[in-house]
Amino acid sequence: MERTILHVDVNSAFLSWEAVYRLQQGSQVDLRTIPSVVGGDEKSRHGIVLARSIPAKRFGIQTGEVLWSARSKCPNLVVLSPSYPLYVQCSDAMVSLLQEYSPVVERYSVDECFVDLTGYCGGRSGIDIARELKEKFRSRLGYTVNVGVSVNKLLAKMASELEKPDKLHTLYPHEIPKKLWPLPVRELYLSGPRTIARLYRLNIFTIGQLAHAPVQLLQEHFKSHGPAIWKYANGIDDSPVVPGERVMKGVGNSTTMPYDVDNEKEALLYLLSLTETVAMRLRAKSMTARVVTVSLRDADLSFYSHQRRLAAPTNSTEVLFSEVKRLFLEAWKREPLRHMGVHLSGLAGSEFFQTSLFDAITPPGRKALDESIDQIRSVHGTQALVRGSFLHSGIPPLCGGVHEAFPNMRSLL
Amino acid sequence: MKILMRSVDMICCTNTDGVITPIKFRISDENKEYKIIRIDRILSRKEEKLAGNRMLVFTVQSVINGSECRFEMKYEFTTCKWFLYKM
Repeated sequence: MERTILHVDVNSAFLSWEAVYRLQQGSQVDLRTIPSVVGGDEKSRHGIVLARSIPAKRFGIQTGEVLWSARSKCPNLVVLSPSYPLYVQCSDAMVSLLQEYSPVVERYSVDECFVDLTGYCGGRSGIDIARELKEKFRSRLGYTVNVGVSVNKLLAKMASELEKPDKLHTLYPHEIPKKLWPLPVRELYLSGPRTIARLYRLNIFTIGQLAHAPVQLLQEHFKSHGPAIWKYANGIDDSPVVPGERVMKGVGNSTTMPYDVDNEKEALLYLLSLTETVAMRLRAKSMTARVVTVSLRDADLSFYSHQRRLAAPTNSTEVLFSEVKRLFLEAWKREPLRHMGVHLSGLAGSEFFQTSLFDAITPPGRKALDESIDQIRSVHGTQALVRGSFLHSGIPPLCGGVHEAFPNMRSLL
Repeated sequence: MKILMRSVDMICCTNTDGVITPIKFRISDENKEYKIIRIDRILSRKEEKLAGNRMLVFTVQSVINGSECRFEMKYEFTTCKWFLYKM
């Protein structure tokens, strides 16, 4: 049986949500009609554009651009700070509206959802329902969405991205040669900058050329990713719409420092502070991690990372930090750093521990220590118990933002 | 009507079905003096959910300074606040 899948994507999500909320609260100006952006705090150097209005787009302002550059393009630009609780509320409202049509709703990110309407159409076509849905978003929630209708998740997502804003597109298999194949290959789902560069070297520039390329050639150049992108180019995807949130695959925290850090001591303190946050979050989820990654961004914004698989999974701050430290000292090229991050993956449950003959403190002892620290911090605040090394350093003892209500939010930023 | 969006102190009634009805409110004027306005008629009521934020919007009628006025009041569920929205 052919499936009916919708992909719903909010147009300039953060900005639309801010605009609608402010209108509801009595604002006289609709932010969507003037050059405006949602951006981070410039003073602490978190100043990048997270979302922009259509008039701001006309000035050539890009998402991810630094705020001073956006301001130089448009001096009258209105810059708003992000308010994450509002975005979570808007995202929840979006999911509950979609659930009126089908219980199978997957929240793909804070502003994107997949809906599986198979068996829930009630004799109507997917396009009919999509049209009604789009109108409901506008009248009830006050913002516009792009809707893609097709038979699988991939095509529905590609459809909703064809033309924005406030559009409804279909991309059924018979429409692939006409609508999908002429597009540049960089538009294809899951093809990042590295894949694209290598595809260009193979003289593959459009999705159509990729779809007609021999699978063996792609397999040789891209390993298992080759056949996967070939399938995507041909619109083949049988992944199910999974209701609820996505399963957590990793936890990470990162921070942009208020100044460029050029000495080892301060860099390690920042990493310790990030490890504290990330390990605490890991323990709160009753999980352990096996892969530790340290990512660094220097003053020129070039990015690199280094990772290692541990002998045994752990969630101890101490063990994780000793690995973070080792990774950092191996990777760091001694240049001033602007941004650092610690990411843990290879997650598993924390019921069992692997003991080692060479540990200074036994795992149960470490576990008890970490648990006590977490408890004190949860009752008396995160600043109640901090490491002495942070005293008078000016570095926050726990850094990296946590938006626990919606972990996927981070993937957007 | 002009958008004011001023928060007000409200006396309202919630009946056994959970229906909320505004009765009278007070608002301070330029001289920081309170003015009490009794709501005489509710012309319409609707719920809005803009940006996922639930609010009740009432179009009401009162006699203010001897003349009949029409205006809109809002009630925000998350904060339990009343607003004089438009007048």
